[in-house]
Amino acid sequence: MANPFSRWFLSERPPNCHVADLETSLDPHQTLLKVQKFRPTLSDWVHYLFLGSIMLFVFIANPASWILKILCYCLLGALIVIPATSQFFFNALPILTWLALYFTSSYFPADRRPPITVKVLPAVETILYGDNLSDILATSTNSFLDILAWLPYGLFHFGAPFVVAIILFIFGPPTVLQGYAFAFGYMNLFGVIMQNVFPAAPPWYKIIYGLQSANYGMHGSPGGLARIDKLLGISMYTTAFSNSSVIFGAFPSLHSGCSTMEALFFCYCFPKLKPLFITYVCWLWWSTMYLTHHYFVDLMAGSVLSYVIFQYTKYTHLPIVDTSLFCRWSYTSIEKYDVSKNDPLAADSNDIESVPLSNLELDFDLNMTDEPSVSPSIFDGSTSVSRSSETSITSLGVKRA
Amino acid sequence: MRSSLVALPKSFLGFMPLYLAVEIVLGISVLNKCSGVYGILALFTGHPLDFMQWVAYLWSVFTLIVFVQGLYLIHKPNLLVFSQICVLYTVDTICTCFFTLWFTTQWFTLEDKVDLSSIAGDASSTASQANYNPIATGKLTARSIDISGQSASESYEYSITILITLVSLIFRFYFNFILASFVQELLHHPKYLVDRDDVEQDLKNKPIWKRLWAKSQKGCYKLCKNLLE
Repeated sequence: MANPFSRWFLSERPPNCHVADLETSLDPHQTLLKVQKFRPTLSDWVHYLFLGSIMLFVFIANPASWILKILCYCLLGALIVIPATSQFFFNALPILTWLALYFTSSYFPADRRPPITVKVLPAVETILYGDNLSDILATSTNSFLDILAWLPYGLFHFGAPFVVAIILFIFGPPTVLQGYAFAFGYMNLFGVIMQNVFPAAPPWYKIIYGLQSANYGMHGSPGGLARIDKLLGISMYTTAFSNSSVIFGAFPSLHSGCSTMEALFFCYCFPKLKPLFITYVCWLWWSTMYLTHHYFVDLMAGSVLSYVIFQYTKYTHLPIVDTSLFCRWSYTSIEKYDVSKNDPLAADSNDIESVPLSNLELDFDLNMTDEPSVSPSIFDGSTSVSRSSETSITSLGVKRA
Repeated sequence: MRSSLVALPKSFLGFMPLYLAVEIVLGISVLNKCSGVYGILALFTGHPLDFMQWVAYLWSVFTLIVFVQGLYLIHKPNLLVFSQICVLYTVDTICTCFFTLWFTTQWFTLEDKVDLSSIAGDASSTASQANYNPIATGKLTARSIDISGQSASESYEYSITILITLVSLIFRFYFNFILASFVQELLHHPKYLVDRDDVEQDLKNKPIWKRLWAKSQKGCYKLCKNLLE
């Protein structure tokens, strides 16, 4: 079949290779058989118990009617049992759990919520970074900068996760999208948990109310995005941020977390475009501070959270990328990173040069590198060591020994 | 062979290989050091900065450049580069302690000058909100009596502020030991030995800044060798 899809994406596909194929079966027995054969590891137990407990909490805490909640959970169960849908919804469980918790957050009773901090973030920001960087960047504003800040913060942020997912699915190696769903979901889930456990007021609060005490009856503010509403003659951001689910959820910044996660995945799959992705993150950081939605310390918390989760995902879940291949259908196999094999400090038993000296019993002093190295001569006595290892010993200055 | 001055960790948190830990340490450090770039943007926004802030931001940008090298080389480490990173990270730890103390004093001094009058009504328009800086103008308001109990108490706010600051410093010191341990392992590994003749040879016909850079790496290498090997 010579349709455009085949011409573009399947032209490099190796014959009889099915690593990139999608599951098309609708038979639930396949899933049940997989479950029977599944032997969970400790990390699997932690993963499923954690997500399960959050889902249970949401099931109880969400004020929707029980019938509706049961129907929703049954639907999710059905989507997970059917193989064709399971490959997407099962892997998206961390994302679904995050969304469930996020949209339940606004219904938590105020008397059971932790107290709102108003001073902590500006204080920590000044102590760790010398000043409130948001104040520095929002000192002078104009329409051009408003638009420039609005683009990543108010537009790209909401579409980027989908665009990134589609691009990763098509042009990344098979199973990379599973890793993205895992990392992106967990980052947001941890972020929302932190926002609920540690409610903190954003910079716009300090600008409007100073450091007065806050309460959960207060409405959110669009901050600098109010200028965009005014400029465009709409009230979209004012309405949305006034009724946000987590009004005092400044810490950590999930805008920063999401953009960092997207950039890290793109850098991983398309390393040649690294500067572009780094620029996007820096642009979004600037816009969040300029629009007075976050302190720099919030951005750091979001980005560090993303970075740590990405690193974990990279070394435990992600397939190795072959940058010479065009798309997912070009791959013949899926390989994972071997942490111990690729350790630059590990000793290679086949190479005498790479045995760490700390592991050897040496009775001579190695601290003699001030001596000029002496090249081996053909008139030297016969030796049993290889040429390469002799050169190595010479560079250490221990040849004389 | 000399032993190092202190017992350094051989893995990160007891289970993670050092090279992965160094990748995390440098990544987090690079992210944090970006603060310098945003601080320097005050040049364009007109926000006043004092001398210590300028020093802190410029130093952050410098260390950012040094630490980025390490991220690119973590899977194929170079002893000279990582020696430089280790020494600068240590200097940066000392500087961070000093800056933390300095800016903590600044923050609490500013808080002592609290203006008891409320500024709630002062910043009603969005344009003026963005231009208004309560800290720069010394108009931090005092905490009013919290009737609802939904807002954090003063002592809670102080405790959390001090906790976050201390935890970040403790991590900072731990990260420093991780980096030192990584460099120590590199020093003990024959694969990463530095041939000084090669280094000297490579420096000829190079621009002066490259020679200075290489010289600083060599100096850091010597220091690490003396202290860690």
